[in-house]
Order: sequence, then structure tokens, then C-alpha cells
Amino acid sequence: MAVAAEKKEVKKIIDLGLEEGAKKLTPEKIEITINNALAAMGGARLDAYVSTCIHCGLCSEACHFYLSHDGDPHFSPVGKVKQTMWEILKNKGRVSPDSVKKIAEIAYTECNLCRRCSMYCPFGIDIAYIISSVRRICHLLGVTPQYLQDTAHSHAATMNQMWLKQDEWIDTLFWQEDDYRREIKNLTIPLDKEGADIMYSVIGPEPKFLAMLIGNAAKIMNVAGIDWTFPSFDGWDNSDMAMFSGDQEIMGRVKRAHFEAAMRLKVKRIVMGECGHAFRSVYDVGNRWFGWKMPPVPVIHAIQFYYELIKEGRIKIVKKFKEPVTLHDPCNVMRGRGLGDMARYVVNAICEDFRDMSPNKEHNYCCAAGGGVINCGPPWKLKRMEGNRVKAEQMKATGARVVITPCHNCHSGIEDIIGYYKLGMHTKFISDILVDAIEVPESMKAKK
Amino acid sequence: MAKVNLGGVEIEVDEDGFIVDPNVWNEKVAQALASTEDVPNMSEEHWKVVKYLRDYYQKYNIAPMIRKMCKDTQVDLKHMYELFPTGPAKGACKIAGLPKPTGCV
Repeated sequence: MAVAAEKKEVKKIIDLGLEEGAKKLTPEKIEITINNALAAMGGARLDAYVSTCIHCGLCSEACHFYLSHDGDPHFSPVGKVKQTMWEILKNKGRVSPDSVKKIAEIAYTECNLCRRCSMYCPFGIDIAYIISSVRRICHLLGVTPQYLQDTAHSHAATMNQMWLKQDEWIDTLFWQEDDYRREIKNLTIPLDKEGADIMYSVIGPEPKFLAMLIGNAAKIMNVAGIDWTFPSFDGWDNSDMAMFSGDQEIMGRVKRAHFEAAMRLKVKRIVMGECGHAFRSVYDVGNRWFGWKMPPVPVIHAIQFYYELIKEGRIKIVKKFKEPVTLHDPCNVMRGRGLGDMARYVVNAICEDFRDMSPNKEHNYCCAAGGGVINCGPPWKLKRMEGNRVKAEQMKATGARVVITPCHNCHSGIEDIIGYYKLGMHTKFISDILVDAIEVPESMKAKK
Repeated sequence: MAKVNLGGVEIEVDEDGFIVDPNVWNEKVAQALASTEDVPNMSEEHWKVVKYLRDYYQKYNIAPMIRKMCKDTQVDLKHMYELFPTGPAKGACKIAGLPKPTGCV
């Protein structure tokens, strides 16, 4: 089913981060930096992937960019690896500043690291790992998209991604506690409660703009009678865009702060809000950077937490959502962690009319926003939209009015696609629907 | 970058429709930007928020926290999202002539 979109002529995209970064490069600097980077990466994993690939192209049909560009080989996963990592390896690091700019554009804006292609590779090559390694090289060369780099800088300076200061974080929690008491009597958002069962962590945009998500979490926790807490100090933000810019040192610091907060509060486990990349950063990338077999504190995604609450009867669903909904499976929680069935259990429990997408679960098409791509900002918006026509077609075919997206990047990216392809749908987080579906005991209701 | 007609003048916007030069902003431009963000009519409340955002940005070079926006304009959170269906980060900031905030937004 084709969807219409206004065609705009292709213009050269200017990203200051790439332009200015490339200007500072010399051939010597490039060669030394690349070869040092390749040596430091250890090489075994990368070597195995690069030497195993037989260029069969079976990965191509897996990629939303490739499909949306009618099979343009430039956008096939193997094509993207050929134009980046192979180019680097073939030339032993002797590539021009202009080539670096081109390589960076492909690695940061034409691949979401969603790993759908790995499902179709006969050898299971982790192509996202190869592209991440390219990004690592670009980061070390100082050629990174400006918006993404700004976010990585924010992580470095503030340990959160939105330049928040500690008082702004705390004030927001007090404000949401206050606000929600209009609905739930004596609702609390406990800060720094040592020994609590759960530390709940969120991503920077929640206190900055999406404060209702903090309110939603507080309502669910209070109604379910959970012993929970937020840290008032660094480590409350579980997100990690430095992971996607290739700045592994900052990524590690941010991850350490998150787990140290949980350890300092002596909580039993961490529950993360509805975010995908943050989840990937604790089970796939950050843990490997530290060499951890297991995270020091058990950590689960909100989907699993809601699943437990409903399954164990800690919250009761009394008012199901009526509009037809569909569910977008975020790569980092479904393909990466297999929470697809739990998500469907939750969605079916709170919605009357659930219409699944096809393909779904680990085979779902990416949102084209993840992997730090939406974070590369406005210069790349159009490219992101044109690169995901298949998502628009897939969503339209469900006939749903609401797309549930338990991930921040998916949420914003899919809202963009809905607007661009004029699908007349809206995105919601699970918690947006859950808070209105659960029973609030009379004794907890605030007097109007 | 592309030029579009906003409020009768050709203005440069980025690929996401945010104006490039904050100095070319005026109320006519805001009105035109509003229509691209599901705000067909700018009410008094819309103007209050938009002008607040602009002042704040000119002073501090960053968009304010949603808590400050709500407190200082006396618009509660739920109503803020009713006023600007595409959200304060995208919709309200765009109408006020701010650049798109960085981060997962």
C-alpha cells in the first residue's frame, strides 16, 4: 500500500559538525588516528565480521532505508559497510578529509544500528557493531554531527542529556508530586530513599519537557504500593547518546554514574522508563565497555515492570482504551531483549482493539530515529523521512489510530513519519494509556 | 536549508521547519509557523507562552524547563500540551523562533 508524500528536490545537507570537523583534518592525522583506533578496538570481533562477510547482499532487504529507496544499493547494509569500514581498511587508514565526511554521514545518518539486517545475514554478522566502530573512528577524528555532539557534551558536563542542573531536576519532581496530589491523595515521589526496592530512572527529556511521564510513573508506583525512589543526584538520567556519537569514555562515565546511584541507594533493582537506547546501553554496550558479565544491580525495562504489576495483580485494569491501537516494537527492547510477548500482554490488557503490525516483534521495521539518528537534528530530518516510507506503509495497513511506542526515539521519530506521510495517527507511551486504565482505590482519591 | 514564505516574507528554515535566523521573527512569522504545528489560531494564551519562550531564550540561550514554562505562564502541564499538540519542545519552540532543542526530542 503506497502512501503519498510531497517530493522535494535533493539538496546538499550542511552539518557544521561534519564540515568544521573535517576542515581540521590532515592526511597524517587521519592515518594515525584510524590505525590507533583499530588497534585499540582489539580487532578480533571486527576482523571476524569483516572477513566472514561474503557480500551476498541478503541483508539488503532487511533495511528500511534500502526498501524505502526502492532498492538503491547505496543504502543496503552491506553497501554501507563497503563505503565506510571497508574503505578505511582497504586504504589502511589513508582516506581524505572529504571521504571522512562522507563516511560519517553514512554511519551517523543512514544507519539506525537497529540490527534487523543481522537477522537476515546467514552468518549473523553484527553490522551495527561495524557501523558503531566507524562512528568510534569518526568521533576520534572529531567529525560528528553537531546536534548529536551537543547532546554528548551535555552528558559530559552534566551527566544528563538536556543540560539540567540538579536543582532543576529536584524542583521538577516536587512539582509533579504536588500536581498529582490533585488526583491521588498523599502521592509521594520519594527522593534518595535508602534500601528501597526500586530505583526508577528516566531520560533527560522527561524532566525537561515530558514531565507528565514522571507523573504517570508516580501514579502507577503509588497505586501499586511500590517501595521506590529517585536519586536526587547524578545518575538519574539513564540515557546515553555518547554511546552513539562514538565517545565511549563519556558513555562509560554516564553508565557508571547510573549504577553508582543505585548502589549508593542500596536498591534491589533498577526500573528504567520507556526508552530503548538507554536499555541497550546497560545490557549491550556499557556493560561490555566495563567488562561486566552482569550489571552490578539488576535492571529491567518499564515493559517488564508493567507486565509484572498486571500479572501479579498489583494494579487492576478497569477501563480499557477504546480507540484502535497498534504497537511499534523498538529494536533495543524487542529485537535486543525479547520483550515482544510481554509488551503484547500489557497492550492487550489495557486496550480493547489491538491490531498488530506486520512484520512485528524482532522482525519489525525500525523507526529510523533510533541509533542517535533523530539526535543528529533538523539538517537530517528529510533524509530520515524519505528513508522510512516502508514504516509509513506498515503502520497505515493496521488501520489503527494510535501507535504505542515504548521508546523515546521511536515515539518522536514515528510522530514525524505520521506527520510527513499524513497518516492521521498519533503516538503514545504505554504509561499514557495505563494511568487512565488502572483502578484507583477510593481511599486514595483526592477530594475534588 | 530552504526558503519558505512565512507571513509574507521569504525566510530561511531548516529541514525541520525551524527558522534559521531568530532575528527575522515577528508575530506574522509566528502565526505562519503556528499553522505548521497544528495550532490554527494563536490565542492570548498561545502568545503568552510563545513570548515567554522568546524572552527566556534571548536571555539564557536555551529553552526553559517545562516546569518554569508552566509556573511562569500559569498554564498547567496538561493544558500546555493542548495548546501545543506537537509539544513544547517542537511546536512551541518552533513558533517562538527558537532552534530545535537537542537531545531525544
